[in-house]
Amino acid sequence: MPNRREFLNTLMRGGILAALGLISGSVILRSRDKNACSGGFACSSCGKSQSCSLPAALAARQMVWQLDPSKCIQCGRCATNCVMTPSAVKCTHAYAMCGYCDLCGGYLKPGTKTLDTAAEHQLCPTNALKRKFIEDPFFEYTVEEELCIGCGKCVKGCSAFGNGSLQLQVRHDRCKNCNECSIARNCPSQAFTRVPANKPSLLKSFGKEPLEDAGRKGVRNA
Amino acid sequence: MKKYQGYILAFLVILGLGLMAAWFLYDPVSSFSLSVPGMDNRKKGPAASAEKVAIGEDFILFKSIPDVPGTNWPRFRGGQFDNINKENVRLVSKLGDPAAHILWKLGLGEGHAAPAVYDGRVYLLDYDEVKKEDALRCFSLLKGEELWRRGYHVHLKRNHGLSRTIPAVTKDYVLTIGPRCQVMCCSRSSGAFLWGFDLGREFQAEVPFWYTGQCPLIDNDTAVIAVGGKSLVIGVDCKTGKKAWETPNPHNWKMSHASLIPMTLAGQKMYVYCAIGGVCGIAAGGPGPGKILWETTAFAPSVVAPSPVVMDEGRIFVSAGYGAGSALLQVTGSNGKFTVKVLQKLKPQEGLASEQQTPVYYGGYLYGILPKDAGALRNQFVCCKGNDCKSILMNSGKTERFGLGPYIFADGKFFILNDDGELTIAKASPAGFTVLDKTRIIDGQDSWGPIAITGGYLLMRDSKTLVCLDIRAKQ
Repeated sequence: MPNRREFLNTLMRGGILAALGLISGSVILRSRDKNACSGGFACSSCGKSQSCSLPAALAARQMVWQLDPSKCIQCGRCATNCVMTPSAVKCTHAYAMCGYCDLCGGYLKPGTKTLDTAAEHQLCPTNALKRKFIEDPFFEYTVEEELCIGCGKCVKGCSAFGNGSLQLQVRHDRCKNCNECSIARNCPSQAFTRVPANKPSLLKSFGKEPLEDAGRKGVRNA
Repeated sequence: MKKYQGYILAFLVILGLGLMAAWFLYDPVSSFSLSVPGMDNRKKGPAASAEKVAIGEDFILFKSIPDVPGTNWPRFRGGQFDNINKENVRLVSKLGDPAAHILWKLGLGEGHAAPAVYDGRVYLLDYDEVKKEDALRCFSLLKGEELWRRGYHVHLKRNHGLSRTIPAVTKDYVLTIGPRCQVMCCSRSSGAFLWGFDLGREFQAEVPFWYTGQCPLIDNDTAVIAVGGKSLVIGVDCKTGKKAWETPNPHNWKMSHASLIPMTLAGQKMYVYCAIGGVCGIAAGGPGPGKILWETTAFAPSVVAPSPVVMDEGRIFVSAGYGAGSALLQVTGSNGKFTVKVLQKLKPQEGLASEQQTPVYYGGYLYGILPKDAGALRNQFVCCKGNDCKSILMNSGKTERFGLGPYIFADGKFFILNDDGELTIAKASPAGFTVLDKTRIIDGQDSWGPIAITGGYLLMRDSKTLVCLDIRAKQ
């Protein structure tokens, strides 16, 4: 029979081993690709994604509201119907589509003779769209999200006279993701739709495929 | 309690004074900033390039072929400036398999420059992106073989395409204007360089937004070119390259993308020009060529692409995009004196307007494609009377919308090109719009260069490819 000292020693060693095992296991789990399961599949290609409890599968099943720019008619209701103030819908710039024009239909009021940054020449009511000279004859346009109210005036101008690179999108870091989106309920063109939370953007592009990710593919905000 | 009254009173006075001071000192709009001109860091001074261009410096002869008389589309909008093919050649109403009609295809530099055709040769001012040069290229119409190329180095940056003009061709001359306003005149048959000059360097012309869109004009061996610098318009003798006459530019109007369109009224021939600043008529002949006969600033958008449409009895239709809409002008004159008045001035939602292409006037009616800001009828092919551009008599319908591409009338049909290379053949009249055929010819984008049709051959392009189609109907 081991004495009490040996019993306590064994117990302590066992406890230390178990703690080391737990720490190692959690480090390994954390370092794994969240989009991959033990089989090495991506969520989108796995038949069990609807029942899987891995974080990536959960995120893929979670749906969020998004605005489809190809259906949007820039009616202005995104600015007034959102439960957030200012609206969680913001103008987003798909730089890959932009012509970097001096005469920008999204920045300047129609008929403006002087192409400059004077407030009276700008379409944006809150000065959220900034313009910067790059090199002759190109100008870069950036959206200051803090100032943008999602009215879509710049989007309308860009769609009518330009390439349509300015587009409205729900910004999910601001959106409350209401069960019944107040804007979606009032959208006259039914442009609001549910999209997977891990692919939350719906940006138009020149080609047939939409731009995938507002954060990574040619899209920036100020 | 009484003994604290003094303290309370003193506290309230101090508090009141503090609040008063805070009220005076607090600026609720301190975070606001002024949005004034100059915040975009725009470079000061004129943006014109100081680059000296050796116009006509390069030449390559590939092949010689004999002329094929009878196939002519010699300039922008054709011989009569109306974009109507009047040749007696029957054209197909359905293309079927487009591959069976394609005679040849050619890769071009990115842009919207379109071809002119003269005696079986195709002339196009391309931009060679590798060599960085404007290149006047001559091809055979039937085979697409390049015959010769005359060019000059000029540096361009992609700006909604690069090239965008159509040469003017006569029996002896080919006249071009490059994206950066270089004018070049060559021998039509051999490509020999005759003369050239830079409108920016010699006449202080400003290169328009997205480069030059004006297509040059040769009238009785005189090159007629809108400048918008120290002269408004100049006439240059094609034989010598010397200035024959010039129109002063007292209002400092600028060059637009519109081209000069001839018109004759009360026995006076004139050129109608829609500049950035206003619309005017300039004497084409008589004792004072180049004299401004009439002018108006009633229609003066900041950018103009469509050319004026000259109609009967001195009526002129002018239009522009970017919300400008259109105007119907009436010019009257007698004994060499002319006046102009605005009959209608319309927003894009109120009547006929065009952003890029010039409408077609046929049989007393104007036909065109409405811009994207035209409300419910946006992008539809529409028709109105030549004397009333407000009442739209016919529209192509919600399912038949088009873009900024060209349209041309030939053999009783309209050939309409969509932005992405889809060609629609349609019958259109005030009574209705009927699609006869719709075929994708090129899988491209920005198919905006005007179409040319001659001898049963149709030349069209997207941003990078020129295609020649045989659209002759089988007997």
